[in-house]
Amino acid sequence: MSVDAHGSPDTGELARTPEQPLEGRHGFWTGRSGLVVAGILAAIGTYLVVGIVTMDVPAGAKVPGPTFFPILIAIAVFVLAALLAVQTLRKPEPVPPTEGNPRFHTDWKSLGLVFASFLAFALLLVPVGWLISAALLFWGVSRALGSRRPLFDVGLALVFSSCIQLAFGAGLGLNLPAGILEGIYG
Amino acid sequence: MESLSLLMEGFSQALTPMNLLWVFVGAFLGTAVGVLPGLGSSMAVALLLPVTFSLDPVGAFIMFAGVYFGGLFGDSTMGILMNTPGGATAIATTFEGHRMAKLGRAPQALATSAIGAFIGGLIATTLVVFFAPKLADIAVMFGPAEYFALAVFAFIATASVVSDSVVKGLSALVIGLALAVVGIDGISGASRFTADMPQLFDGISIIVITVGVLALGEVLHVASRIHRDPKLSAIAVSGRPYLSKREFREALPAWLRGTAFGVPFGVIPVGGAEVPTFMAYGTERQLDRKRRDPQFGNGAIRGVAAPEAAGNATSGTAMGALLALGLPTSATAAIMLAAFQQYGLQPGPLLFERNADLVWALLASLFVGLVMLLVLNLPFAPLWAKLLLIPKPYLYAGITVFCGLGVYATSAAISDLLIVLGIGVLGFVLRRYGFPLAPIMIGVVLGPLAETSLRNAMMSSGGEVSVLVHSPVTWTLYGILALVLVYTVWRRIISRTRADV
Repeated sequence: MSVDAHGSPDTGELARTPEQPLEGRHGFWTGRSGLVVAGILAAIGTYLVVGIVTMDVPAGAKVPGPTFFPILIAIAVFVLAALLAVQTLRKPEPVPPTEGNPRFHTDWKSLGLVFASFLAFALLLVPVGWLISAALLFWGVSRALGSRRPLFDVGLALVFSSCIQLAFGAGLGLNLPAGILEGIYG
Repeated sequence: MESLSLLMEGFSQALTPMNLLWVFVGAFLGTAVGVLPGLGSSMAVALLLPVTFSLDPVGAFIMFAGVYFGGLFGDSTMGILMNTPGGATAIATTFEGHRMAKLGRAPQALATSAIGAFIGGLIATTLVVFFAPKLADIAVMFGPAEYFALAVFAFIATASVVSDSVVKGLSALVIGLALAVVGIDGISGASRFTADMPQLFDGISIIVITVGVLALGEVLHVASRIHRDPKLSAIAVSGRPYLSKREFREALPAWLRGTAFGVPFGVIPVGGAEVPTFMAYGTERQLDRKRRDPQFGNGAIRGVAAPEAAGNATSGTAMGALLALGLPTSATAAIMLAAFQQYGLQPGPLLFERNADLVWALLASLFVGLVMLLVLNLPFAPLWAKLLLIPKPYLYAGITVFCGLGVYATSAAISDLLIVLGIGVLGFVLRRYGFPLAPIMIGVVLGPLAETSLRNAMMSSGGEVSVLVHSPVTWTLYGILALVLVYTVWRRIISRTRADV
């Protein structure tokens, strides 16, 4: 299992989620970043509650109506969020014995690059077209995961996205957007 | 004997050149994703699902059958050679398997695991052929209350047995359930949790959720650790995998015992084959201690044979539970259920009547797939091991592009690409904090069934809750659930007291 060591400043690579204030060597947040999940659950629960309250239930809907099951889920979500929070507070993740070993941190740079590449792919797909946006995605992810040959990767990414365009677009008949290359092929 | 003649018809359909090709493609892809690190058959089926829409259902399911078993054949390869299991089901195999490899017996370990997977799958599939129709006959009597009991059973058992913490398992489950209630309510027509966005009226597609949680979440997880984790190196395989007669005789009882552990767990929804593989491994170790020359710790062939057979036997009977009851007992089965629904088919008792030809062709192709997998895996295992040489950046970059392709191909909607990214981040966070992912899939797939059957049952009774426990079938289901829970608690206590061993 992945273990976290948030409180080891001597590594110079502190991995902190935004809501974690910098504290001492073994501050309160050490090993307690798992509270994020309880927070996510609470957010889901809140969304459910807002949705249940504002729902337009059609007149004449039989009992139990459309809000019945979501109410059950919302209750369960809040109970579990509370239990998780208590569990994380009482038993923080253990700090690994190899103090100062950087590999227990989440690598936010790589993570962010993958996230940004996919976001760019989603936003560019229709305007720019499959070939280029998919190649960009491939290039970005391989870069994030430590590929050291950017130029070679550009070629590889273009070959990869073209192969998919050929196999799935021309072969299986999927409709992939052509974007700015519209009319040059297909 | 009716089953036999139906199965023969199924074979005649499965053995056409086109369908043989699909089995081969499935078996090939399944083994490949099994061998590759971090990928499992559930992810492979999820990524393939959107691109198979242009196939006819028979072809698509035959291919899925190959992927389904193939993932289990492949995942032990990596465990044995690199001491890193390719999937949760291969963890138990890895202990003794890697020891064998270190002692230069990698070919034997690979052969033992391939033959074990074959035997387990073969016996389980044979049992399915004979007992699934009977199971379907019983299931015809199921009403809404019984189906609700079945869904509750799957929810609780999956969430509590698989994960190390019940709270974590249940949290994953409710996230799945919450994702499943988005969209227009089928019974009343009310729009739920859509924020009035038309893109959400049909709900969040199961494909988006699966690709997000299983595939994109995994890529993000790898990205967050790839510069941190130590590099792994594989042990080279020299020579073909083979077993001498003596080794075969040594492994045979373990294969059979492993199968015996695996078979019942396919029908009990505990979220996959992890539990039986560990039970099989544990039993072999116990038995080994009583021998005059204990082998465990020095690369015991039985420690590889039993878990592998158990894993594939579970998958075999899981297919039976899926077809006959419509009950997915693992993440992969949950996605297969979604695949059935995409084709407008509802697995369950009626499937055997309405789509008999499809069911029997699928069952026959499971056998064909197993034979093909044995052929693909036994002599060519050293070739598969070469897959481990693909540079990780390119492997995961390719997977990410396939995530985008799969999601866009299903709906041609940019909104789905954004949702999949959000769910991928959610999947990453859950992985990071050690939450199990199978309960999410079970929740998403069975959530609607649980809701409609609960509401139908209560509507017909006029709001009376006791309707949920009115029949012997529901008593039995809740009774077995109670037993499973008691067993889980007992196992936890045992493992806690033995934690120092």
